[in-house]
Amino acid sequence: MHGRRSPRLSGNTRTRTPRTARSLLTALAALPLLLTAACSGGGAGAVTERAGAPVHLTFWSALRGSQEVVDAYNSSQDRVHVDFEQVPSGQQGGYAKLSNAARAGNAPDVATIEYPQVPGFAIDGVARDLTGLIDTRLREKLLPQALDLTTFEGRTFSVPLDVEPMVFLYRRDLFDKHGIDVPRTWDEFEEAAREVKRAAPGSRIATFPTDGGHHLAGLAWQAGGRWFDTRDESWTVSMTDGPTRRVAAYWQRLIDQGLVFLNPVDTQAGTAQVGRGEVFGKVTAAWDAGGMMSAQPGQKGKWGVAPLPQWDERHPSLGVMGGSTFAVTKDSAHPRAAMDFIEWQVSSPDSLKARLSSGISSQYPAAGGLVPVAREAMDTSYFGGQDIYALFRREAALISRRWTWGPRMTATLKTVQTGLARAGGGEGTVLAALEEGQRSTMPDLTSLGLDAREGRR
Amino acid sequence: MSTAPTPAAPANTLAPAATSQGRTARTRGTARRRAMGACAALMTPFFVLLVLVFLVPVGGAVYLSFFSDDQPGLGFGPERTVFAGLRSYEAVLTDPTFLAGLGTTALYCLIYVPSMVALALLLALLLDSGAARLRRTAQLSLFLPHAVPGIIAAVIWLYLYTPGLSPVVELLGKGGVSLDLLGVDTVLPSIVNIAMWSNLGYNVVIFYAALQAVPRELTEAALVDGAGPVRTALRVKVPLVRSSGVMVVMFTLIWSLQLFTEPMLLSQATPVVGGRYTPNMYIYDAAFTRNNYGLAAAASVVLLAVTVALSYGLSRWSNRAGHASGSSEEGFG
Repeated sequence: MHGRRSPRLSGNTRTRTPRTARSLLTALAALPLLLTAACSGGGAGAVTERAGAPVHLTFWSALRGSQEVVDAYNSSQDRVHVDFEQVPSGQQGGYAKLSNAARAGNAPDVATIEYPQVPGFAIDGVARDLTGLIDTRLREKLLPQALDLTTFEGRTFSVPLDVEPMVFLYRRDLFDKHGIDVPRTWDEFEEAAREVKRAAPGSRIATFPTDGGHHLAGLAWQAGGRWFDTRDESWTVSMTDGPTRRVAAYWQRLIDQGLVFLNPVDTQAGTAQVGRGEVFGKVTAAWDAGGMMSAQPGQKGKWGVAPLPQWDERHPSLGVMGGSTFAVTKDSAHPRAAMDFIEWQVSSPDSLKARLSSGISSQYPAAGGLVPVAREAMDTSYFGGQDIYALFRREAALISRRWTWGPRMTATLKTVQTGLARAGGGEGTVLAALEEGQRSTMPDLTSLGLDAREGRR
Repeated sequence: MSTAPTPAAPANTLAPAATSQGRTARTRGTARRRAMGACAALMTPFFVLLVLVFLVPVGGAVYLSFFSDDQPGLGFGPERTVFAGLRSYEAVLTDPTFLAGLGTTALYCLIYVPSMVALALLLALLLDSGAARLRRTAQLSLFLPHAVPGIIAAVIWLYLYTPGLSPVVELLGKGGVSLDLLGVDTVLPSIVNIAMWSNLGYNVVIFYAALQAVPRELTEAALVDGAGPVRTALRVKVPLVRSSGVMVVMFTLIWSLQLFTEPMLLSQATPVVGGRYTPNMYIYDAAFTRNNYGLAAAASVVLLAVTVALSYGLSRWSNRAGHASGSSEEGFG
């Protein structure tokens, strides 16, 4: 809750008592957590302001290649020195670490936050309002759909690094072998799913992931769903609106007919499923092309990338699954220097080259100017030489601007996943998981004091 | 637990000794003052700790549950501390995941508490009857799991439950039995099993200690009257260790309401155990995943209230039942 306190109020005596009480409760409740935090150390560190000496910035990220990016930045200039700390990914405790650090007043200058968590950290006062610090030059470089996701009430709270349009990765060899056409619409997808099952009874066209809250959200996004709506100054939550119901009913039908697998994918078993060739395709996003190259090197040349099937080919639309942003925290003593570093990270070719030097990545940069750099660095022989970045660029333009993430997305998606896991165990449905997600999100928002209400079905 | 009978016993033996020595009113007064002083000195640490680690945090939680740093509208504006009233309580009590957690815990208690009491009592009676030849070894091997920290126990059992790792599941699979111990319906019994393994020995010791205090004349008299060992156990011994039974039920119940470690660890391994599987996990999740301290505090207070109400109800009920049957409760009065 300390994280929610903005710098504006930090000196206020009125807030002292709650802070003490809170710290005590936190300390007692979070002993193990505090111990972990203490062990991992970190913090903003002392900031030197002497003339001539470089400004020191701290930077936390779980993104691969961040060390290389920081090294490149540090050697490219001598005004700012960035100290990088690798943190666990958000779900693995990275977000808890950031919240705790902010509560203790020693958050790093620059933190990495994924899109769904941006509103939460903005509401908590951890991510600083960057509106005045981002100049138009940078704004114009970034994909507007990506910037939309980090902007609320006209204020931008973080800067997008990459944004990942959803795509359909498929086994080109298997589709060819069985003479199945790659589906362009969801109707065709269902038909293709039947053909796959007929041709290879042990295989399916894809897996509906029970650990895929983001996956389901991205599909609802494409269909025109709007789980969170902020248009009339309050949070309207409608996780089972018309378009989402359509998506849920569609996948439920495929699940019930046994046309898709229903299991977690982010596990060893999930990877093995792909390795054994039991799935003909993967409903995923741009970054996963690189992910496949690393996870299944033996299937080189067998895969292809196709656009995600559409509901209506005449009005194509797309959702996002993945991508990161950089925020300057409230604790930063040098927000302007921090912003310069962020701008370099998201828009400089040198930064992208440094990041790609750490390993294969097929991320789609939010700064369109970097797409040729990423395209050049990518060896697409895994995809039979297909120009995957050209496809990503076409698809990124289709990303729908209707979507807004909610204030407590980690929790919301986790509840949806608990429901999906139950469905995977034979108890419950996709729709029930979404209903549960919404019902359990409401108490969260109202108890935070936000104006929140449930949207009509 | 062995502490309950001990304070009662010295108090009883000390009181007559003190009165027989103090012949005059003056010495009696000094003795009383001294006793009071000793009493205060011995009790102080308890009360200090009670205040520091219980009342202060409870007060903090109550405060947090009523006040909140609110931001109007979407929440991106400046915040102000306001009295939120029962808002957080309303949120907790309308949260399906919290209520489901309470339901899970209730079901858990329904399975765990009776089986624990029955099994612990049975084993203690066996040990006491002398039927167990290797009494010392049996006692030690029963108690040993209790010395294993809960988190380690959970790790051990997780290994035994996980398909692909577990030799048990593999063996069952070879025998043609496919059993998913981490499935939707099996995971709760799996957690009960871990808790049983951890705590059984501890409760056996409590019952065994109480059984040791049963006067031999009574069991001998029962024998003379022609009662067999089973009948002696059920009609003579069990009624005499009733108060220990109440204590075991109470501790087991309180422990169960705070269920956290085992499901928390299992939640890493199976998605059917969500992040808010029990009320305690809900509180942890509210505070550290959702960064929602008002909600966490309100849920803590609700859980505390439920625990206190259940403990109070249980002790009231057992006292009344105890007085009605006129059993061994007087020693404590």
